[in-house]
Amino acid sequence: MSTQNTAASMQLNFTLNGQLLNMRVGPARRLLDILRLDQGLTGPKEGCSIGRCGACTVQLDGAAVPACLLLAYQVQGKEVSTVEGLSSQPVFQRVADSLIEHGALQCGYCIPGIATSLTAALTQKPHASAAELEQAMCGNLCRCTGYSGLQQVINDLASPDQHI
Amino acid sequence: MNNVPTAVPLDQAHFAERWSARPDSTEKVYGLQQYPTDELHWPGLLHGRILRSAWPHAHILHIDLSQARSLPGVRAVVCAEDIPGTNSYGIIFRDQPVFCTDRVRFLGDAIAAVAADSPEIAAHALTLIKVVYEPLPSIGDSQQALASGAPLLHPDGNLLDSSQLSHGDIDAGFAQCSYIVESRYSTPRQMHVFMETEGGVAIPEQDGSLTFRVGCQSGHRDRDQLADILGLPQKKVRVIGLSTGGGFGGKDELTMQPAAGLLALKTGRPVRIHYDRKESTRAGIKRHPIQMFARTGCDAEGRLIAHQLHAVLDTGAYASLGPAVLTNFSDHAAAPLYRIPHVEVQGQLVYTNNSVAGAFRGFGGNQATFAVESQLDKLAQAAGLSSAELRRRNLRTPDDDGVEGQSQQMPCHPDTLLNSALASPLWRLNTADQERGRWLSGVGMALGAQGNGLGNGLPDAGGASLRLTEQGTIQLAFGFIEYGQGVVAAVQALACEALGCSAADLEIRLGDSNGPDSGPTSASRSTVIATEALRRLRDDWQQQLIQLGKSLLGDQRALRTGAGGLWHDEPQGERAISYQALASRSKGESLPTLKTHFDFPTGPDAQPRGRYLQLLIATVARVRVDRFTGRVKVTHLHHITAGGKVIHPPSYLGQIEGAAVMGMGMALLEDVPMHNGEYQLDNLDAYLIPTLADAPVQQVDVIETIFAGDQYPVRGIGELGIEAISPALMAAIQDATGVRPCDLPARPAVLLAAMTAAEGNLP
Repeated sequence: MSTQNTAASMQLNFTLNGQLLNMRVGPARRLLDILRLDQGLTGPKEGCSIGRCGACTVQLDGAAVPACLLLAYQVQGKEVSTVEGLSSQPVFQRVADSLIEHGALQCGYCIPGIATSLTAALTQKPHASAAELEQAMCGNLCRCTGYSGLQQVINDLASPDQHI
Repeated sequence: MNNVPTAVPLDQAHFAERWSARPDSTEKVYGLQQYPTDELHWPGLLHGRILRSAWPHAHILHIDLSQARSLPGVRAVVCAEDIPGTNSYGIIFRDQPVFCTDRVRFLGDAIAAVAADSPEIAAHALTLIKVVYEPLPSIGDSQQALASGAPLLHPDGNLLDSSQLSHGDIDAGFAQCSYIVESRYSTPRQMHVFMETEGGVAIPEQDGSLTFRVGCQSGHRDRDQLADILGLPQKKVRVIGLSTGGGFGGKDELTMQPAAGLLALKTGRPVRIHYDRKESTRAGIKRHPIQMFARTGCDAEGRLIAHQLHAVLDTGAYASLGPAVLTNFSDHAAAPLYRIPHVEVQGQLVYTNNSVAGAFRGFGGNQATFAVESQLDKLAQAAGLSSAELRRRNLRTPDDDGVEGQSQQMPCHPDTLLNSALASPLWRLNTADQERGRWLSGVGMALGAQGNGLGNGLPDAGGASLRLTEQGTIQLAFGFIEYGQGVVAAVQALACEALGCSAADLEIRLGDSNGPDSGPTSASRSTVIATEALRRLRDDWQQQLIQLGKSLLGDQRALRTGAGGLWHDEPQGERAISYQALASRSKGESLPTLKTHFDFPTGPDAQPRGRYLQLLIATVARVRVDRFTGRVKVTHLHHITAGGKVIHPPSYLGQIEGAAVMGMGMALLEDVPMHNGEYQLDNLDAYLIPTLADAPVQQVDVIETIFAGDQYPVRGIGELGIEAISPALMAAIQDATGVRPCDLPARPAVLLAAMTAAEGNLP
């Protein structure tokens, strides 16, 4: 892509889904554009571009963050994981199984972001409570389901002694 | 009716046999599904952007594209002059220009479009397009539009359409009333907020044709309009509606397709357009804001005598589906659940310089139901009856015609739903600890009726095709679009039952304008069409396959279609031949290929308005209102639905619950405020939709049984859950606070002020 920013490009080195990447890129290029347009990773979706909907959620050094708000220079030397990279992890698979079993999705545009947020929360704290998992969902919107399936997923994934 | 049907909880325990994951769940959760806006892999892909008007209302004096055209990386800039066909579109009236030439009528109007090597270059190029405007006074609301001397937005004036639905003698009716209540109501300009905004790609083919891979709601209708715009024969335009990230009515009308198509024709390269959220807000369709005045009266015994409702709907700058929304609004405003001898509904659909309003789940019906059900609660109070008792004394029966005089088929008697709602556990939750503290709790309910289909008198056909492929798969094709509602799951379940096959035997194809036309994916019609198509195809299909099997096997024993192939039709019969073997062994012979096409059921009469297939819902809502802030937390919703047989339980549940929370957003939270045609917000930082933290605990109970003789056991339930939620929530707020909000969304500050004013009435 000839989509470099007008500012001088930088040498960017970061780990994407376990692979070290080196590229010349404008320092203010959005991580979401690097992922979707440059790397062809379409798991993260673009929904609002201002960090409000969570459809583009990725993990940055294990924390769930919206990729639309991260610029290239901010991921220098860091580890970025998208749904494509997370999907082989047992924690992600547990989350995915629960989302599928409880029918927590309809159009599904929000669901890679939701799965990524839940995976981050459970990786950081394997015995997270339902309240903590609900808190981890505060940046993810869903317009189809009314969230009932997600409520069940959270009760399913939360540590048994800490249900709401 | 002797046997009163019962409502069954829609959960895994009660529906274990029919419960299964959506067939597309795994792909979606693992991020593997390619949505229309994920079509980034096309060689030579260009990125398109559309220039929108700078003014809500202005003359265009001059457009200069030269600077934009000379920017390196720009491959094409197009405006109205570049349109080979007609420069207009619109599902009902083609009154919306693809690109404006001499006048703009709202801030979403398109003027030109750019295709460039990158999104950044395309965005930069838009800033280089010079448009000279002469601003005109803008019409910011319906009242201004109808005022004498208002500038005319369209040749026939600012009144796009009006409706009049009346029977009896309204003045004589009110003269007989012992109790009369009157009130104003208003509803907001709600935004669909599908998570995937409008987008897709247009791809030029070798033979000069164009293929669109987009988010839409009808490939065929889009194709017809696009062929006219692009000046191409219909066979040279193919629209594939990919599984998309939400529709809710907001992708019914054309969006980015014309601009992408023109740019693709001009450059000979694939062109992708993906509205960002700001552009979606600015140019996208909204729900009609409606101002209503209602007057309703009953006699001393609580029998409804007269009901009057006058409404003005702000349809924005262009018609889109506004006239059809007005009709459905009017049908609901006439109180279709109740017997009333004297009724008068008048509606006006008005052009303004605001955002274009059109199709949105509920389609005008839920706004009218909000006013009607609120009126009944007020009237019950005036007459000293409970809300339930007033309703019980006036419910229409299944033998009654509909409000348009059309035949209608109710799924059951409405009093069944009323009784189920009254038995809801939500009335009995113990919240004594919350009383007199910060939180006030309340419970309320409302009833709703909704019809399936586009409506009598409108062309509303559907069809399907079914064939055995050379590989031995059963290929079933519909024109429907999967936008989250679960039509893939429903079609799969219906097909397995009708054709006797297993899901693994099926190849379901959807949304391709080169395939069968099933009509638009709207009006809760797809499941009805799919059921009816399979009913019509089933016998021929089985007969042809069995005949083919017998001739290939040289065996005249009875066969039946089953999982994986044909089976001997006898107890413990074994599989006789697989579908693959049927296909591969019948070389040279044509394989079974069937098609069907038919009109949506409109009942036995030819009444040109109204809807035949009816569904019912009762919604019970429990809320907590914060006495300090006026904020409303919806804690529980209980829905009782009568919408025919549940085909795919998780999808049915998701449609009811999702529609309810969307309606909750309209009732409590959502609006796109506009001032003189200017948007007061443009993204999800200021337009808030319900989050997980706002979500109530929900229960759905379903009544599946229908009357003997009802030919349509399966109904479409995509809009049912939004029908009664607003009035149920307002009734619950009134129960909690003594205040009844009539303007939606019920904003905390407004509610708090009213609560403060009424403080003396609080417990």
